[in-house]
Amino acid sequence: MEATSKVPVHDTDCLNLEPKSKACPRPKPGEAAGGCAFDGAQITLLPIADAAHLVHGPAACIGNSWESRGSLSSGPRLSEYGFGTALGERDIIFGAEKKLKASIDYIAVRFAPPAIFVYATCVTALIGEDLDAVCGEASTRLGLPVIPVTSPGFLGSKNLGNRLAGEALMQYVIGRSEPDDAVRGTSVNLLGEYNIAGEMWEIERLMNRAGISVSSRITGDGRFREIGWAHRAKVNMVVCSRALLGLAKRMEHTYRIPYFEGSFYGAKETSYSLRQMAYLLNDRDTEFKVDRLIEREEARVAEALKPYRKLFKGKRAILYTGGVKSWSVISALNELGIRVVGVGTNKSTAEDVSRIVDRIGEDAEYIPEGGAKRILKAVKERKADLMIAGGRNMYVAMKERIPFIDINQERHTAYAGYDGLLRLAEQIRYTLQHPVWELAERPAPWEEAGKTHDR
Amino acid sequence: MTVKRFVKPVSVNPLTVGPSLGGVLAVQGCYRAIALLHGAQGCAAFSKSLLTRHFRDTIAVQTSALQEMDVIFDADRNLEEALNLVIAKHRPDLIVVIGTELTDVSGTDYSAFIRKYTREQASRGCLIIPVILPDFNGSLELGYSAVVEGIVDAVIQGQGGRAPGKPAAGQINLLPGSCLTPGDVMELKEIISDFGFEVITIPDLSTSLSGHLLTGFSPLTRGGAPLDDLKQMLRSRYTIAIGASMERPARRLQNAACIPYQVFSGIHGLCATDELLAFLQQLSGVSVPLRYRWQRENLLDSMLDAHFHYAGSSAVAALEPDHVLSMAAWLKEMGVMIKGLVAPCETQLLKEAEQEVWIGDLDDAETLGKGADLWISNCHGRKGAARIRASFLAAGFPVSDELGSYVNVSVGYRGAMDLVNRVGNMLIRREEARHEDRLCQ
Repeated sequence: MEATSKVPVHDTDCLNLEPKSKACPRPKPGEAAGGCAFDGAQITLLPIADAAHLVHGPAACIGNSWESRGSLSSGPRLSEYGFGTALGERDIIFGAEKKLKASIDYIAVRFAPPAIFVYATCVTALIGEDLDAVCGEASTRLGLPVIPVTSPGFLGSKNLGNRLAGEALMQYVIGRSEPDDAVRGTSVNLLGEYNIAGEMWEIERLMNRAGISVSSRITGDGRFREIGWAHRAKVNMVVCSRALLGLAKRMEHTYRIPYFEGSFYGAKETSYSLRQMAYLLNDRDTEFKVDRLIEREEARVAEALKPYRKLFKGKRAILYTGGVKSWSVISALNELGIRVVGVGTNKSTAEDVSRIVDRIGEDAEYIPEGGAKRILKAVKERKADLMIAGGRNMYVAMKERIPFIDINQERHTAYAGYDGLLRLAEQIRYTLQHPVWELAERPAPWEEAGKTHDR
Repeated sequence: MTVKRFVKPVSVNPLTVGPSLGGVLAVQGCYRAIALLHGAQGCAAFSKSLLTRHFRDTIAVQTSALQEMDVIFDADRNLEEALNLVIAKHRPDLIVVIGTELTDVSGTDYSAFIRKYTREQASRGCLIIPVILPDFNGSLELGYSAVVEGIVDAVIQGQGGRAPGKPAAGQINLLPGSCLTPGDVMELKEIISDFGFEVITIPDLSTSLSGHLLTGFSPLTRGGAPLDDLKQMLRSRYTIAIGASMERPARRLQNAACIPYQVFSGIHGLCATDELLAFLQQLSGVSVPLRYRWQRENLLDSMLDAHFHYAGSSAVAALEPDHVLSMAAWLKEMGVMIKGLVAPCETQLLKEAEQEVWIGDLDDAETLGKGADLWISNCHGRKGAARIRASFLAAGFPVSDELGSYVNVSVGYRGAMDLVNRVGNMLIRREEARHEDRLCQ
C-alpha cells in the first residue's frame, strides 16, 4: 500500500462526504475531460424509471444529454422522456420560477408520476432561481414529491454530481415510504449499480439464488417508492461507484445499516461481495448457501475459462476507466490471464489506487493524467494488445487500429457476475480474433510494401 | 405567417440541439482546428460525446472548464490558461472560442480579451476567433452557420478584404448547410467539379468526418479545409450556399470581395437537383455531363416504380429549419400527405414558407403525426414513432443508433434515388404488416 505515494491522485476530495473537506480540485482549462456535476446527478438519478426528470435550464442542457445512457428498465419508461423548461432570454431577465411551476404542474397532470426530480443548471443557479421554494410549494400543493437537485454543472465534476444526487436521495426520498410486505431478514440495498446492459438483473438473480433479496435498487431499474424504503434494509452494498459511498455512510449513521464496498466484475470479486453480504447479514443459513453457490459457480467458471486462458496467454491490456472499475476490472482480467500493463488513475481515489497496486504491483504504468495521446503512448511503449476504456475513447483506438473493449455506460454487454466474466472473455476473444485487424494492417496493393501506417 | 406553436410550458422530448454544438460541428470542417467551449466542462463533454457517437469519430473540442467562482470573478483567466495550453500542446492553425450561456449571462466580454491575447501573446500563427452562442436561441443550424460566418469574417479581415491574387474564374465556393452529411458534401463537391470548377468548401466535413485512418488519432481536426485554402476563397467567381441558413456567410463574401452568390434552400429530390444542375450548366457553359443525365433517368424511373407505395401515405417530419422544409418539398414530390412539420426554432425561411410549420418538440410531432405512415427525425424520435406506429426514418442530428448515417447520401439524383428506395421499402414493409394484421384478426 505504501506504493501509492508514487501515483498522483486527483478528484479524491469530491467523494468525501465531510462538509469540512476542502473543495474539489479545479479541472484544468484546456485539458479537462469528462462531464459536469449536472451530468453526474443525472447519471445517478435518471435510472429511477418511473419518476419524471425535469431539467430547469436552457434547451441544450437536456437537448444535448438525454437518451445517452444504457440503464435499462424492466417496466415504467417515464424516465426516458426528456423534460426541460427550455429557458429563453426573457426568462433569464425576468426569472423563470413561474415557468418552472407551470412545467411541474403540467407534468404532474399529464403524466401522473410518483415523483418529479427538478435539476438546477448553471444558468438557473447564476440568476438565483429558488428551486427549493418552488419545489416545496409544488410538493405541498400537488401532494407529490417534487425534489430539487441542486447540482449545476459549474460546481465541479461528474463525481461531485453523483454525490449531490445521493444527498438529494437522503434528504428527500429515503425513509419516506414503507415496504408493502414485511421486510425479510436478508434484504440488501445495491448503491451505485445502474443496470447498464441489464447487469442489475444478473446480480439480483445471483443474490436470490443465495437466498438474499434486493431491497432497494439505487438506482438501476429503480422505482421511486422502493428507494423510499431503503432504510429498512439490513445491509448496503456500494457497487462500483464510490460516489455513493457518502450516501452509505450517511445511512449507516442515521439508520445503523452496515455497508461495504464491492464489485461484481470477475469471479473473485463477485464471490467476495456475496460473502461480505452474508457476513454482514449475520445469517447462518445465508452464509451456508452463499458458500455452496460460490463453490459451484467458481468451479464452473474455472472450467469454462480454460480455453480462454490458453488463448489469452501473454496478452497485455491497457485499462483506462474510473473509480472502482479501475481495480475491479483488473481482477477480472487477471482471472482471464490477461496482464494489465498500464492503468489510468486520473479518476481514481487514493483507495482505488492502493487496490490497483495490490492487484498488479508496480510494474504496470500508472497514467495519472487524462488525454488520449497519453494513453496511446502507453499502448505503444508497453506493446499492449488491447485497450479497455469508456466509449469516449473508442474511436481514438479505432483510428489507431487498436482492439478495444467498451467498459462504460454506453455498452450493450453485461459483464457483471460469473456469467458476465465468461461474456467478457468471449467478447475479448471475438475482438482479438476479428479478421479486420489483419486487413487494417495490410497496405493497399498500390502502396509500397512494408510501409504500413506508423503506430 | 405560417409558424405555429402549441401552448405548453415545458418542452417534452426536446428536438433542440444546442447552437454551441452546431458551432463545434462547423469547426470540424477546418483542418488542424479545435473548438474551445468557454463554459462549464459539461458543455464541451456533452457536445463531444454526442458528436462522437453520431460520427463515430474523434471530435476536436476543449473547454475552459469554468467553475462557479471563475464565472463570478474572472473567466478570462481560465480562457487564457486554456488557450496557452492548447496552443503549446497541439499547435492548431485555428481555434474557435465558442461562448456559452454561462459567459453570456455573466456578461463576460471575452472577444476583447481575445483581441488583446492575439496582440500581446505570441499566438504563433494560430488564428483565434470568438463566436458567442448561448443556448437560449436557435438550434444546431444557427450555431453552425454563425461559426462559418465567423471564420469567413476572420479570413476577410486577415486579408484586409483583398483577394490573395487574381480572380480565379474556374473556382467556386461551396457553403454546405448543417443538415448535409459528409457523404452529401462529397457528392456536391463531385457534382460541382464535374462542371469543370475547382471547389473550396467551408466547412468541409467530407474530408474530416467521413471516416478515415490516414492520420491516426489527433486532438485536432483530422481533415477539412486548410486555412490557406480559405484565403483563396476571396478569389472565387461564385459562392454556392446550400440551405438558407448559409446565406449570411455567403453575403459576407459578396460584400467584402464582390463574389456573387446563389442560395439553394431546397436540397432533396428531383426538382431541387434540377435547379442546381441547371444553374451549374449556365454558370460554367458546360452542358450537364452524361452521368447526371443518366442518373436523372434512373431517379425518375425509381420514382415511377415507387409511386404505387407512396400514394396515399402520410408523414410527419421534425428536423432543423432548413432540413425540414427541404424534406417537405421532397415528400410533396412523392405525393406524401404531410401531417405536420416541426422545427426547434423559428427562422426567416420558416416565416416565409408556404407550408405550416410548428415550432416545438418531438412530443408535438407525436401529437401531429397520429396515424402517419412515416416519421422523419433524429434518433430521439424513434420511440415516439413506435408509439404512434409510424415507420421511422432517421435523419438530421443526432443519429447515434445507426451505423454510417453520417455517410448516407440524399442529395443529387443518386442521393434522391437512394432516399426514394429506402423509404419506399419501409412503406412496402408496412403494407405487408397490415396484411398480416388482417389475417390474424
